Parts: sequence; structure tokens; C-alpha cells
Amino acid sequence: MTVPIVEMRKATKKYAGVPAIEDIDFALLPGEIHTLVGENGAGKSTLTKAMAGVVPLTSGQMLIEGREVRPETPVQALHLGVAMVFQETSLVPTMTVAQNLFLGQERFFNRLRSIYIAAQQFLQSLQFDVDPTATVSLLGAAKKQMVEIARAVLHKAKVIIFDEPTASLTPEEKKYFFDLVFNLKARGVTVIFISHALEEALLVSDRITVLRDGKLVVTDRKENFDRARLVQAMVGRDLSQTLYGQRKTTMRPAGKRVLSVENLRMAAMVKNNSLSVFAGQITGVFGLVGSGRTETFKVAAGVIKRDIMYGGEVLLNDKPVRYLVPAPAVRDGIVYVTEDRKVEGFFETKSIADNIYLGFLAKMRSARKLVSKREATEVGERLIKRLNIRAISKDVKAIELSGGNQQKLVIAKSLVQEPEVIIFDEPTRGVDVNAITEIHQLINRLADEGKAVVVISSYLPEVMALSDRILVCRMGKVVEEFSALEATEEKIMYAAIH
Amino acid sequence: MIAALRTWTDQLLGRGGAAITVPIFDGALKPNQILEQAETFAELDSPEDLATDGTSLFVADGASVLRYDGDTATTAAQVDGRITGLAIVPSGGVAVAVDGAEVRVVGGPSDGRRWTRVDGKPLNAANAICATADGRLLVTDGSQTQPYDRWCHDLMSLGRSGRFLELDLADGSAREIASGLAHAFGAASVGKDTWVCESWAHRVVAYGERKAGLPVVSRLPCYPSRVSPAAQGGYWLTAFTCRTQLVEFVLRQKAYRTRMMREVDPRYWIAPALTSGNTFLEPLQGAHLKMRGIHKPWAPPRSYGLVMRLSPDGLIRYSLHSRVDGKNHGVVAAVECSGTLFVLAKGRRRILKLAVADAERRVLS
Repeated sequence: MTVPIVEMRKATKKYAGVPAIEDIDFALLPGEIHTLVGENGAGKSTLTKAMAGVVPLTSGQMLIEGREVRPETPVQALHLGVAMVFQETSLVPTMTVAQNLFLGQERFFNRLRSIYIAAQQFLQSLQFDVDPTATVSLLGAAKKQMVEIARAVLHKAKVIIFDEPTASLTPEEKKYFFDLVFNLKARGVTVIFISHALEEALLVSDRITVLRDGKLVVTDRKENFDRARLVQAMVGRDLSQTLYGQRKTTMRPAGKRVLSVENLRMAAMVKNNSLSVFAGQITGVFGLVGSGRTETFKVAAGVIKRDIMYGGEVLLNDKPVRYLVPAPAVRDGIVYVTEDRKVEGFFETKSIADNIYLGFLAKMRSARKLVSKREATEVGERLIKRLNIRAISKDVKAIELSGGNQQKLVIAKSLVQEPEVIIFDEPTRGVDVNAITEIHQLINRLADEGKAVVVISSYLPEVMALSDRILVCRMGKVVEEFSALEATEEKIMYAAIH
Repeated sequence: MIAALRTWTDQLLGRGGAAITVPIFDGALKPNQILEQAETFAELDSPEDLATDGTSLFVADGASVLRYDGDTATTAAQVDGRITGLAIVPSGGVAVAVDGAEVRVVGGPSDGRRWTRVDGKPLNAANAICATADGRLLVTDGSQTQPYDRWCHDLMSLGRSGRFLELDLADGSAREIASGLAHAFGAASVGKDTWVCESWAHRVVAYGERKAGLPVVSRLPCYPSRVSPAAQGGYWLTAFTCRTQLVEFVLRQKAYRTRMMREVDPRYWIAPALTSGNTFLEPLQGAHLKMRGIHKPWAPPRSYGLVMRLSPDGLIRYSLHSRVDGKNHGVVAAVECSGTLFVLAKGRRRILKLAVADAERRVLS
């Protein structure tokens, strides 16, 4: 029988007496790609952090190749051959790629040139197309992941743990990332892969483990799973139909045209783009990266500016508008719910209620000359209840919330502004299945209330499940429109690519 | 001063009034080929307008009013000039606009009533009539400066001299309700209000109590023409061609436009047309853009065929198209009669026929 490369026995980790994981028996086989799935708060990160020495176990055992170990720091874990690539990369952004690779391994006389040469050779051996002299802050998400992986391999890690590596990657970058993972596997590295995207789990894994409420529910080969079984194991009930399973058989009739974009131009990203958004409907927008979908709506919401000369027109209720910043757009009723919630979505050290109240103040501006704590509490509680944001209290800091609840917070911050047009950009990226269902229900409810809703998503099943009409963008403009009834994945992808 | 400065900066930066933008055909205006695939009901020499009394179709063809009962046509009325507008008077007879310069009632209790001047100004391009149940005729006079046929000249000279008129069948009185319209073309009685199409302003406006030109449908991507009631409530609005960025650009270039009008044959102007593709001398308008094997519906056409179904409150519910690669262009009238929609594609001098229920099913499914 194969000896597991990493084994956890009765692993338990408690925070202030509350178990994050409890009595978990987990075995990682050498050379496999093992995916951990589960809702936010299921214990995936805690389990892997215990393996990587980030947090110590409260009780239980950890064995590496049959030998009991107890790593207390990530460095100790790395020496034992276990490295972890975090969701937010742990690279030093102001340093170069090469400096990051060799961080902690500097010699007494360190020559930058020799570091660059060594890094170049090493990256080439991994077939990673990254410039070792590039500053990390200037790299895209995928390249940062490559540097993280390279660093792990450089440290001779036998096990690399990826915590939601694909959450911030574009579809093309994801494909590239999976190629890297397969490449690592071919080199004999064992990979643990945490993901919310079930299709990815079913695509890349050898085995899948499902965690729920801190307990291991099932571990099995991927052939024995399908989407429905995975979802059922994750949430304890069958959600597959409420997520993306059912095709739309009816569509909401269009109300009045609320937002229209005419011949919009924005640098090289948006090229003479035109589209309309109607009240009481969900307008889905699909397109590959670089198709200009996000930029078009960011211009409409005043997040970025269109071309100064002949930049086209944006019309709200048939009246031309030109927003240089988001504030006037918010006052006029257009809100943009960002795709990058951690950077643009909220103030992470402020409480839920404060974050929501800040959204409210952005709408009220000079009408609220004094900040009222009582009003902040009321507004916060109302939105927390409406969006079912799960937290111990309204005073919990945003950073302490799970991904799904953080996303709900970002939405709450926008909804408190009573918008007429709501633009959701990747509303369920990095969010667990239960929260996805809740967010989808909320989006549908907003359309039913007569709001004009836009859903920008790279995930086709999501676009198809939600939208009444689907706009497909390619090369900076809308190239095709489908009604919900006529749309198929094939048609949409064909339009997006050809 | 500030307005002049704003105009100057707009022209410099291509913003505001100088923004050369055109709304897109999407949502309820998403193109299809239903009008192009419609059955041809009749091909006539000079069809100008359609009307119905609920059972028969009436067609203004040259100087005659033809009555169609099924496929059989009979002459219902004959006048001494070309009919440019037609309506069925509920109390009997037909009201016709003759050569754009006169409105006349033929048959029925008001037979022989005629109007050639309203508020001291002569009728010049009367192009549509709506007869109301309370004995009024609502008439649109497209332009005070260009005759009926020279609508393209009116557009190219940025005409704003259209009028909306009300004529009383009982006492023969007449009054001007609105003037200075950007080519008034088509009117419909909507409860206590009247909807009037303003072609060059790409909109339909309402006149009535406390309403003087209130937009009902605005920023259309086309030049609307006549409007008529639909059986299930709401209205049919036709458009004789659609807007393009190139034409919008020409409309903003006064020197170019003036010279083009002076030196070029009107058939070859960079301007909308009721039909196109008849000669290679027609100006290229970047049309017929082919993508993925089909002519893309938003390829800028020189001519186009479009009928829009409006809800009672003026929302566009769906639309029927003959696209850039089609032939049934220049739609100037549509009437619904016994569940069938008759459409006049003036560009091809055709009357098209399609079942409303079938068209609705095809568009909405």
C-alpha cells in the first residue's frame, strides 16, 4: 500500500474554543492532484494552513511519509517539503522576481546579476515565461502565481498547496495555470488545490475531498463525482437545480430603456461600442478578457473615463451623462459592484455597518452634514438582514468575513444607495455555492422589482442561468445579442471567439 | 457666450450636439428577417398609404383609393392628384391628402369638404391623416419648405417646419396645434392625446391636455413614419429607413452638405433612401458588413425596413425587420386588419402581409 506523503489523523483546530476543523482524517497520496472543496468556513484553509505550519493543530497528528511531524512555522513546513501558495500572494511587490525567488537564501556577498542568471535558468527549466528582472507589482495575477510556484519548487517542496489560485485569474490565465499544475505533477510534485469552482475540481483533480462545517464529508476519485454529488456533499442538500441546472423557460419583458451606450470609445479597450440596458430585466454580458465588457460599464458608472475626443455617449433615461468619478453616477442611480472586492469593494478594517453606512453617505453627500451613529446602526442592520450577511455582529470587521459574506457586503454597500441601474461585475467570483445561490436570488429579486440589472461574468452557466438577454462582447464591442430562450453555450462562445 | 463656448468645445471634442452617435438596434429592436420573409400581398405602381375600416384594407395608389376584400381590389375613390395620405372616416367616406397640398373628404356625410390652408399657411407636404371617432381629422404636414416628394431635401437642409393640424369635419374649421416640427410624419389618436411622429428628431411626441410635444418614444435608431392602432392595444410604428453615423456626420457638416446638394444628383447623395442597391453609383456607406457569414444587422444601411410594435404607453415590445441585405425597405405604413398586418414597403412598391400572431410568436420565442 502506498504510504501517504502527508497524513492528518484526528486533526482538530479550535479558535477560542470553537472548532474550525474537527477530527479530520486526511491522506494525500504522492504525485496526485487533490482538490479540497467546501463552502466558505468549511475548514479547507485551516486544514491546509495546519499542514503548512501557519497554524498549529489543537489536537491530532500530522505525518509526512509516515513520520510524525509538528511544523510550527511555514519555514519548518517548507523544510519538511510542504509549501503553500496563498490566495493573496506573499511576494514582496517592490522586489524583482529573482529577488523574491531567492528571498531568505541570500548569500553574504550577493550579486544581483548572478541572482538574475540563476533565476532565469530556473524559470526556464520550469518553462515559466517570466522576466526575472521584472518588478513583482507590475506582473499580472497569473505571473505572480508562477513566481509563487517557482519559489515553492526552488525550495524543493514535495507538496504544494494552492489556496483558491484561480479566483483572480482570467479564463486564459486559468488554462495556463492548469498546464503548470500538470507540469508540476509530471515532475513528481503533489498538489493540493482549494477551489470554489466545481468544474475546475472535476477537471484537474485525481481525487476530491469535500469538507463541511469543519468535518470531512467524503474523499473519492473524481470519476465517482459529478456536479450534483459535489454540491450535495458540500451543502448537505441538492442545490444543483437552483444554481445553474435549469434553463430559463421564461424571460422578463423589457421595461423602458434606462441606460444606453452609443459608439463608446475608450483607448484600445472599447471600440465604438453600443448597447442598451432595460428596466426590469437582467442583461448578461459575456466576453473573453480584453473584450471591453468591464471597461464599457466602468465608463458608464464613472469609474474610468472614455476618450476625450469623440468618445461616444452614455445616456441615462435618454439624457446624455458624462461622469468623471463614480459619485455623481451613484447620485443619478448607477452603481458598479466591483469584480475585485478586496481592493475596491470595502474598507477591510471597518465594520460591516460602517462600510454599509459609507455607501449610504456617498449617495447622501451634503444632505448628511453630520454622521449619525444611530443611523449607521439602523442602515447596517437593515441591509445585513436584507442580504443575510452572516456574522457574529454588525461590528465585525469586513476582513473577518468569509468570501461570500464579503461579496454580500459589497452588494449591500451599493444597494443602500437605492440605485436604478446595478452593474454586477463577476458577482460570484471566489464565493461558495450557498452564497452563490443567495446572490443569484438577490439579483433576480432586483430585476423583479423593476431595476435594470447588468451581470458581467466570465462563467457561462452563470450568465445563462441569470440573464433575460445576453450581450456578447468581442474586441471592444458587443457583437451579438441573444435572448435567454435562444442562447446556448455554443452560440455564445462562438460569438465571443469568432 | 457660455452656450457658444460650449458649442465650440462640443464641436472640437465631438461631444453633446456634435457627438456623432447612433442608438443601436438591440433589446426589442433586435433585428430579425420577419419583414423580409413576409408574403407579398400586392405590387402596385405608386402606393403611398394604407388604412383599414376593420374589415377591408384600403390602399392609396396614385390617384386612386383601392379597397381590398380578401385578394380582390376595387376602386373605392378617385381624385385628381396623387394621394399622399389616407384615412377612413368613421362616419363614412375616406379622407385623403392630395399632392400634399390639400386634404379632402370623399364620400360619406362630409363628402366634398376640403382644406388647403390652415392658420393662414398653405398645406405643403400633408403626408398622414388620422380620423377620430369624434369627427376630427388629425393631419401632419411634413414641411413648409419642401414638397412631399422632396423629403430628403428637407432632411439635408435640417428642416424644422413641419406642422400638426386639427381639422373639424363638422364645421370645416382648422387649427394648427404644433409647428416647427422636424418633419412631422404620422399621427394617431391615443385616448385624449395624439401621438405625432417627428422623423428628423427620431421620436414620437404627444400632444394633448398639458402635453405639448412630450416625448413618448425618443432616440430611435431610425426615422419614424406613420403610426396606427394595433388590435390588441398599443400601436404599430413604421420607420422608412434607419440612421447611420455617416449620415449623422454629413448632417453636421454644413459646407459639405450644401455643396453636395448643389452639385450631386439627389439619387447619389450620402443620405437615407427608400431603396438601395440599384446602381453602383450610390455612395458607399460602409454597409453590408459581413461577419461570421451573415450581414450583421447593425451594418449601416442606406435603406432599411422596420415596423415596431408599441405598447399603449409607448414602450417598444418587439420589431419586424428587413435588414441591410433585404429588399422590403422604405416602410411608410402598417395597418392591422382581422389579425393580419399589412405593411407598405414603398421602396419596393409592395404591400406585405403577415399574421400578427405568427410574427409575435417568432419574435418572442
